[in-house]
Amino acid sequence: MGYSDLNHSDTKQGIGASVKRNEDARLVNGQGTYLADLEIPGTLEAAFIRSPVAHARLGAVKVPSEYNNHVFLAADLDFAHPIVAATDDPQFQSTKQFALAKNKVRYVGEMIAVCIAPTRAQAEDIAQSCELELDELPALWDMDVATSPDALLIHEHWRDNIYLKTDVSVGDLERARKEATVSLSKSLSMGRHGAVPLECRGVLAHHDRRLNELTVYSSTQFPHVLRTCISRALDLPESQVRVIAPDVGGGFGAKGNFSPEELTIAALAMKLNQPIRWIEDRRENLIASPHAREHRYDVTVHANNDGLILGIEAMIRVDAGAYSVWPWTAAMEAGMVVGILPGPYHVPAYAAKSQSICTNKTPMGPYRGVGRTGACFAMDVMIDALARELHLDPADVRLLNLIKPEDMPYQSITGKQYDSGDYPEAARKALDAIDVGAIRSRQATGEKDNRLIGFGMSSYTEQTAHGTAEWVSRGLPVVFGYEPALARLTPDGKLILHVGIQNHGQGLETTLAQVASEELGIAVADVVVRHGDSSVSPYGMGTFGSRSMTMAGGAVSVACGQLADKVKRIGAHLLQSTADAVTLFDGRVHTETASVPLAEVAEAATLHPERLPEGEEPGLDISAVYEPKRSTGAFSYATHACVMAVDPGTGEMEILDYVVVHDCGRMVNPMIVEAQVVGGVAQGLGTALYEEIPYDDNGQPLSSTFLDYMIPGCAEVPNVRMLHIETPSPHTQYGIKGLGEGGAISPPAAVVNALNDALKSLGAEITQTPVTPLRILEAIESGTASSS
Amino acid sequence: MKPAPFSYYRATSVEDAIAALSGADGMAAVLAGGQSLVPMLNLRLSPVDHLIDLRPIAALSRQEETPEAICYGALTTHAAFEDGAVPDGTNGLMRYAASHIAYRAVRNRGTLGGALALADPAADWLTTAVALDASVTLTGPDGQRYLAITDFVVGPYYTQIAEHEIIDSVVVPRRSATERWGYYKVAPKVGEYAKSLAVALVDSEKASARLVIGAWSDVPLVLEASAIALLDGAKKNDLTMVVQNELDLKMPSLSPAERRLHTATAVRAAEQTRS
Amino acid sequence: MKQSVSLTVNGRPVETTVEPRLSLADFLRLELRLTATHLGCEHGVCGACTVLIDGEPARSCIALTVSLSDAQITTLEGLADDPAMQVIKQAFHDKHGLQCGFCTSGMLISTRDLLKRTPNPSENTVRNGLSGNLCRCTGYQGIVRAVLKAAEDLAAS
Repeated sequence: MGYSDLNHSDTKQGIGASVKRNEDARLVNGQGTYLADLEIPGTLEAAFIRSPVAHARLGAVKVPSEYNNHVFLAADLDFAHPIVAATDDPQFQSTKQFALAKNKVRYVGEMIAVCIAPTRAQAEDIAQSCELELDELPALWDMDVATSPDALLIHEHWRDNIYLKTDVSVGDLERARKEATVSLSKSLSMGRHGAVPLECRGVLAHHDRRLNELTVYSSTQFPHVLRTCISRALDLPESQVRVIAPDVGGGFGAKGNFSPEELTIAALAMKLNQPIRWIEDRRENLIASPHAREHRYDVTVHANNDGLILGIEAMIRVDAGAYSVWPWTAAMEAGMVVGILPGPYHVPAYAAKSQSICTNKTPMGPYRGVGRTGACFAMDVMIDALARELHLDPADVRLLNLIKPEDMPYQSITGKQYDSGDYPEAARKALDAIDVGAIRSRQATGEKDNRLIGFGMSSYTEQTAHGTAEWVSRGLPVVFGYEPALARLTPDGKLILHVGIQNHGQGLETTLAQVASEELGIAVADVVVRHGDSSVSPYGMGTFGSRSMTMAGGAVSVACGQLADKVKRIGAHLLQSTADAVTLFDGRVHTETASVPLAEVAEAATLHPERLPEGEEPGLDISAVYEPKRSTGAFSYATHACVMAVDPGTGEMEILDYVVVHDCGRMVNPMIVEAQVVGGVAQGLGTALYEEIPYDDNGQPLSSTFLDYMIPGCAEVPNVRMLHIETPSPHTQYGIKGLGEGGAISPPAAVVNALNDALKSLGAEITQTPVTPLRILEAIESGTASSS
Repeated sequence: MKPAPFSYYRATSVEDAIAALSGADGMAAVLAGGQSLVPMLNLRLSPVDHLIDLRPIAALSRQEETPEAICYGALTTHAAFEDGAVPDGTNGLMRYAASHIAYRAVRNRGTLGGALALADPAADWLTTAVALDASVTLTGPDGQRYLAITDFVVGPYYTQIAEHEIIDSVVVPRRSATERWGYYKVAPKVGEYAKSLAVALVDSEKASARLVIGAWSDVPLVLEASAIALLDGAKKNDLTMVVQNELDLKMPSLSPAERRLHTATAVRAAEQTRS
Repeated sequence: MKQSVSLTVNGRPVETTVEPRLSLADFLRLELRLTATHLGCEHGVCGACTVLIDGEPARSCIALTVSLSDAQITTLEGLADDPAMQVIKQAFHDKHGLQCGFCTSGMLISTRDLLKRTPNPSENTVRNGLSGNLCRCTGYQGIVRAVLKAAEDLAAS
């Protein structure tokens, strides 16, 4: 069943149309090709021997003699340079992560050896037959343990187990302390968990002898950047390395890193001159894919009796795990929290200290929302707590402190440039949609089944599609400053877009085509988007940080705009008119009386240049690069409002209503926008209620399969009611802003606020995620804030 | 995540299966629905050298009815109960319990016997079987024997199955038509194992009541005092007190939060019999 | 030690010898190159590997190929001409019921079975009925809309 069999008729095609997706044709028929579906003859499958302990000196690995050529250790891959991700802050303590562990292991799951065989099962047999000499050391399994005065050093040449400390103070905090009538302090925490895409990671590397290229297929979010990493790590010219992301089954940040697995498999394929594949299994994914979210906050809010915030002080601690993940570094998450903690609120005085702490746990990497989810949690839970303290409605306190639209553009106290938006309007619309009045009446009446009803809300502002200025300020090894596009009209009048982002579910094969359609008047179905291949697309940064639509869309818009100008010139010539007198729509160039199809224009430009106007160069391939006019980011924002029912007997919770009022500037495809938000909310609910990888005091992860680790299922995610506001960004093409992560930012705050509203009559309070039914009961039993 | 190698044998009859079990050198296990066993094999958590497949044995999928009870072959699937494809002498309790086990794709393959042989304390069938006074028929090299479920499952994942024995069938006494049942399961999400599970059976006319709480850290508990209070028509608050006290006595290691949870579950199952 | 087994896959008889430990999922994907069936966990939880065994949905990651003698296996590829599946696929396309596509095969197979058993399901029934198929991208809203639309369209046809 091919593309044409799917009824795909849509009349509107350009920006703002809910066009159905081009990529569905292959995906809905099960014809997607993911990493594990690739077939390269002669491929050997790899299984890693991973450390079973959290902290140990690594001695010999005993390999049965019959497997000598099947097991490879660090020494065999010594030619591969280690992964080093450092910020430009001279205080940052850096790590080196080699392809395979040398001398020491520092987290359960760290790779010690790689075993290869014709099948994965056989590779696992070989792995199981080896013996490890491990001299165990005490595990630094928690932030507090790692930062205690006499703690063992995980990286022996460090001063302490802290990657980086920061200390920021802006505004007159002394005055805020003095003038405040209330100063409320709380300790809040979020549990460690994973990104858990449904498709695990995977790498397949082989040497293409025809092209003399090391070709590395990886389920990655940034193929070009990964190519650079591999070429540097293996001392290969970058022109002899190719990275291809096939269809990717979800990434969410966990596939946007240079991972030791990618390094190892690429190095091994190069060394053996043999195709080697590793497919991550779910246990590896939960243990060894980068982890997320584990933050602890000590926050103090200084306010007056109306709930007006006078100042905020915060100590932010992030458990960044055993190594610094490339390129983000172990300090980025804390840095982001410090920068965005004030959120959409006016905060006149602010002091934030942070620690990015090294522990014997899986390294932490970005996951949808990254530091913003925690920052929003800390801020919004405090605002509601402040409201309860002052016997005010949290909605009123929130509205009092939200930055007003007339203050836009607004420079936050941390120097972020909020470009446009009406934060209070989003909040008011959310309150209206959720009908707060009705909820309060319902609460007053009480429930027949004795459940407690609670209402909670959360507002965030999200920096998206940030470019050069922002990345320079973060001090990462790479500055993601632009995005390219190559637009090519083929002789038959169809379009191919070559872009540097990497689509893995976001619908970019459709939305980028919509941008082209807007500029060229070509049908979305006639546009092919090529991405994910470092040899096919110009150098781009990949997909993360809610950047693709704005950045790549901008580049496509510029390239197609130039292409449109050329098409008009040629078409006008063919129609004996002038370029300013023709228009493009329905795949044709039109005067008022006549038209020619794009194919005719394209044919003239490629196969019959004699038909071109004087001085017009042949060819219809146009390249462009793009960065928004201000590279400090386009700020999308939203308010989430949530009604929960809590069963005080069993701790069971039900989401009765969930509303999102969302502004991502000009929407390219509202159907896709909505789905991205709902998908983000589902993950946010996962963070809030279900997902956790706790560690015991031996540094053992306690949730390593789906038998323990739960992600929300179809029955757990409610219908999310969405309302949109479209406040264009002044700095981007069409005024679009990024949105991919937003849905995952507010749910933990909105949910915990709703639960605390429900539980306040019992004197119970929640201060951590995930909130499990048992933690609800514990909070009720103790009648105080739940303890971790 | 691939299993270590093992051999596979298709048993043609119960005797054949037992002979294969007895004759195996190394670790042998029987395969029923595979919904619990094969994940363990994939994770290499339980090494098995020989797998003996019971599924070809038609006798193990049959049901036999007598006036007093229904005897279900060990390989009767959860879906068979869910779909009403097998007789149910429990006024719909077994059908309800089965419908809430895991997910449809698992219910199509998972079996009653397999669940009881594994004896996961959180298994829906375990608490239900204890409530229903079910018994298991075990067949081994020395013949057949019968054990009440409470004598068969004696600890978490711990049964009295003897070497080379298999569960042949599960016998469930018929319930009286005047009996009412209640079933309350608390699970973190739909399809997950329970964190607390209670089954209540009350027959006012026959003056009988049974209340069982399961899915805690040990085997399901029969709450006799609470059942009596329920039969006596104790009001909800009073019943709650009795349940709490009985849990304090029989589950002394519970945290206050856990006690709260199991109390609520037991009371709710009980309340369902009154509505 | 490999053992032989005969089964039918998408209507075609297959005779093969396999290691007993080879899962049906791996057999379909690696030996028969039917890669619509995906592996998301290999312990029977996520549902990405759902196929039909003798017409009933089952997890192929925990089904042993060698134990499926005489079984009829149907994968998504085998349902390409199935009228109900065509309606369901169209509904998923119309209602944006997929994003990255990795869960989609299993989701479609479970949906077809759900609608076969319950042709006019409530939203609640749909949500509970698909609880065994995890999706990490969509938040399920598009999927539920797609299934309800498919139910309508199937009833009308």
